[in-house]
Amino acid sequence: MTITTRDTDGAVILDISGEIRRSENMGTTLHHQVKSHLDRGKRHILLNLEKVEFIDSFGVGEILASYISTQNLGGKFKLFNISKKLLLIFQITMLTKVLEIYDDEDCALRSLESA
Amino acid sequence: MPDGRLNGFLNRFADVRAAETRAAVYLFGLFFLTTFSFYIIKPVKENFLIGVTPAWWPYADLATALLIGFVVALNTRLLNRLPRRAYMTGTILFFVASLLVFWYIFDTSQQLLARTPVIHHSAIIGVIPFQVIVRNIWPVPVLVFCFFSSVFIAMSVTQFWIAVNDTLDPYQAKRMVGLFVSGGLLGGIAGSLMTSLLVRVIGPENLLLVCPGILVAALAAVHLVYGEQKKLRGESEQGAATARARVGYLESFAAVRRNRYLLLLAGLLASSMVAGSLVNYQFMAVVKSLYESDAARTAFLGTFFTGILVLSAVLHMAATQRILKNFGIRLALLSAPVFLLLVSLSVFALPAGLLMAWAIAVRGGDKVFDNTVSQSVRELLYIPVAEDIKYKGKMFIDMFVNKFAVGLGAGLFLLLYHVSHFAYKPAVTQVREVGFLVIGFLVLWIALIGVVYGLYPSVLKRDLSRKWRDGDKVIEESIDVDRTRQVFETLQSRERSTTLYIMNIFDLLRKDSLSPELKELLGFKRDELRARSMDCLFDVGGEVFFQGFEEAIADKDFEAEVRKVFASDDYKAVMGMRLPAMAASGSEIERMEAAKLLGMMEPTPEVMGTLKALLQDPSPEVATYALAGAAGHRRPEHLPLILRLLDSPLTRQEAQAALTAYGPAAGEPVLKDILLDRSASMDVRRAVPEVLARYATPKSVDILLGALARREEELEPEIVDALYKVRAGRPEAPIFKARKVKPEVLYLIKRGYEIFLDEVFPAVGQAGSGAGAALDLKIKRIFDLLTLIHPADDIVKAYQNILQGTRKSVDYSLELLDNILDRDLKAALFPLIEDLPAADRAVRLRKELRSLARLAGGRG
Repeated sequence: MTITTRDTDGAVILDISGEIRRSENMGTTLHHQVKSHLDRGKRHILLNLEKVEFIDSFGVGEILASYISTQNLGGKFKLFNISKKLLLIFQITMLTKVLEIYDDEDCALRSLESA
Repeated sequence: MPDGRLNGFLNRFADVRAAETRAAVYLFGLFFLTTFSFYIIKPVKENFLIGVTPAWWPYADLATALLIGFVVALNTRLLNRLPRRAYMTGTILFFVASLLVFWYIFDTSQQLLARTPVIHHSAIIGVIPFQVIVRNIWPVPVLVFCFFSSVFIAMSVTQFWIAVNDTLDPYQAKRMVGLFVSGGLLGGIAGSLMTSLLVRVIGPENLLLVCPGILVAALAAVHLVYGEQKKLRGESEQGAATARARVGYLESFAAVRRNRYLLLLAGLLASSMVAGSLVNYQFMAVVKSLYESDAARTAFLGTFFTGILVLSAVLHMAATQRILKNFGIRLALLSAPVFLLLVSLSVFALPAGLLMAWAIAVRGGDKVFDNTVSQSVRELLYIPVAEDIKYKGKMFIDMFVNKFAVGLGAGLFLLLYHVSHFAYKPAVTQVREVGFLVIGFLVLWIALIGVVYGLYPSVLKRDLSRKWRDGDKVIEESIDVDRTRQVFETLQSRERSTTLYIMNIFDLLRKDSLSPELKELLGFKRDELRARSMDCLFDVGGEVFFQGFEEAIADKDFEAEVRKVFASDDYKAVMGMRLPAMAASGSEIERMEAAKLLGMMEPTPEVMGTLKALLQDPSPEVATYALAGAAGHRRPEHLPLILRLLDSPLTRQEAQAALTAYGPAAGEPVLKDILLDRSASMDVRRAVPEVLARYATPKSVDILLGALARREEELEPEIVDALYKVRAGRPEAPIFKARKVKPEVLYLIKRGYEIFLDEVFPAVGQAGSGAGAALDLKIKRIFDLLTLIHPADDIVKAYQNILQGTRKSVDYSLELLDNILDRDLKAALFPLIEDLPAADRAVRLRKELRSLARLAGGRG
């Protein structure tokens, strides 16, 4: 898994490629990266999952931990460009009740403006 | 004086920001001039009133009570129709003209008394008829003048607070209210001193000629104040201020009637006014019995008012803010009625010779409290009321309820005067009989303080809502995290091994946690069993492995059969031989299968030994399965290995889950040791508080607080987070001791000061500095800790609204904190969170730092 970071006016966008899974993790984790942005005063984090093929239980834990850390500081943690299959699993496991998921980056950014 | 120096000077008396300096000075000046003129009018009025028969006294107050409503209605209409400056100018000019007319009347009256020539020097035509009219209708002009003075003070003071509201927001006003009250007191001292000095030279009536000049100066101050309004509030808010003023009299009454808090507030103020009014009659009776000449009486009254105003000024400057800061609103509110009650009771045991001293004490006390603590607190009590309702309610209470209460006091005195034949009784008897009524209203006043104070925080909180919910709570209420993770684990295992997959399905079905959709999602086609592509992995809607599989695996008998197999000696013997080989296998999948299996098997020595080996497996995937197994068996010998797995983020969550499964009895001692061990891995130590938070026992709380008291900055976020989680999970449980938590809150505040002074302040204006973020996080932790020893919901609401609320909700939040926190915490926290320019904040923090360091102590 690789994570590249982009700063926009209202949010930090993390472009993730690869698989968010335990065995693919090298060095820093997703949650660690999110926390470091929060520590620097960023409050809105967007996760671009366009190039994510698979998420395991570890990945789900990382996403939920990132959501909690962001939410507890009054920030927003949102996902976009998620594959249909992954979205289906998120829906069935009811993760969509907690995580806000948008079709694309524009929609996700607009949702921050209107919040 | 330049603005900077002037601001520095003002800051000795009140918290005035640089941009507010001129507005503060002009408002101070306006209030000074208003009370200056009033305290010339007041002794003159009281002298004339005391001079008439006591039976007439109450009519002055009754006239005020009955007629003030019409003045309020007229005032409201003027407020609604006229631009604010025109309204203020018009009313001040009206007062100037009225004072000149009253001077003419009283001058005429004095000429008559002195038997001067028939032709009056101040007029040529109609002089004799006018003199006759004045003589025939006397003391009506005195009563009219009393009514005028009531209208003057009520309208002037209300206009002053309207100017304050138009110019400043509520929190600015609260900061500066002390300064304005000082202006009022100084103006009163100047006015009454001038009266006592000049009255013997020029006579009481000629003092009225001084007032118009002062009022013209007040008019200039009004225009200067509104000139500052633009700078402070901007055009849009000026519009809002004007719009708020368009309120009808009936609407004002309805606003009070509909609002329980305002009703109680009106009752509280009314009871205090009735008591004050009756105290005033007691005072007048004593003064009348001792002073007969106008000049001597006016001079005494001038001196008396000077004395109480000087005392008020001293008390106000030395003690009002201190009383409010240290003892809060309730004690400040109670101070006046309790003092008056004690003095009122003493009159029944007092010798007649001390009556004058008693009268000075009781009325002086009433006025001193009224001018200082009570006045400041009264304004604070309006803070939690919504802006529009406050405006309407305040106008009604200030201009109608208060006067009605004075009228009620007058009516009661009149009744007592006639029923008890006061005309034939000495002053001391009159005073004692009125004293019973006074005591009754003082008791009512005290009771209403209790009710209003009880309601005050809830009114404050009414308009505060949470801006966001805790992430943990949202997740806890929406999803089953364990099941969700197990579903993902099962999906992943489908890719890896049929054995693992079946075992995971077995686990899920045993917990009865598979919906039809999930069953469909987890189903797979035989020919895709070994498929490696992710597309296949996430394919949904496949067929089940074999018909009846789900039913069979979910069947209780099936589970019993499986258990029997695990329990059989043959199985144990065979697997006992096989397990070491599986654990040592080069295949990661095989080791994962073994680890999963160990969690299901009975705890034989071979099983435990293999589990121990797999807990040390280099593969985090294998270790994760082993951790699940260890969580099931909960053997003490595995604890050190589990603790070691806290070190890696890849196994941390499962290690925390396993330690949670061990429970507090087994977990707390080892977790305490590792948390306090400075030589242990910091990542391991950081993972410990989360587990203790899940235990949430008093002992876990003690461990966390003990670790926090060691003040290791690197552990602080996790420990505070854990303590907050315990509190959030058990909001009512009394498991936190203030004596342990408070020093740590103060220490965090001190660290906040240091971050601001050392990092944030030097970097002001520099883009990209992260120091502000560090301070924000520190403040978040301060509030998290405050939830441990105060109502958690109130603290969270206050924090969130300070961070993301409107200006109004920020004010309410600060006021709420002002009521919740003790004085040490308030004094320490407020300079850090109040809206202050960076330079002002730096000055405040440097000033507070030393005392804060002493309070926070040092153990770290």
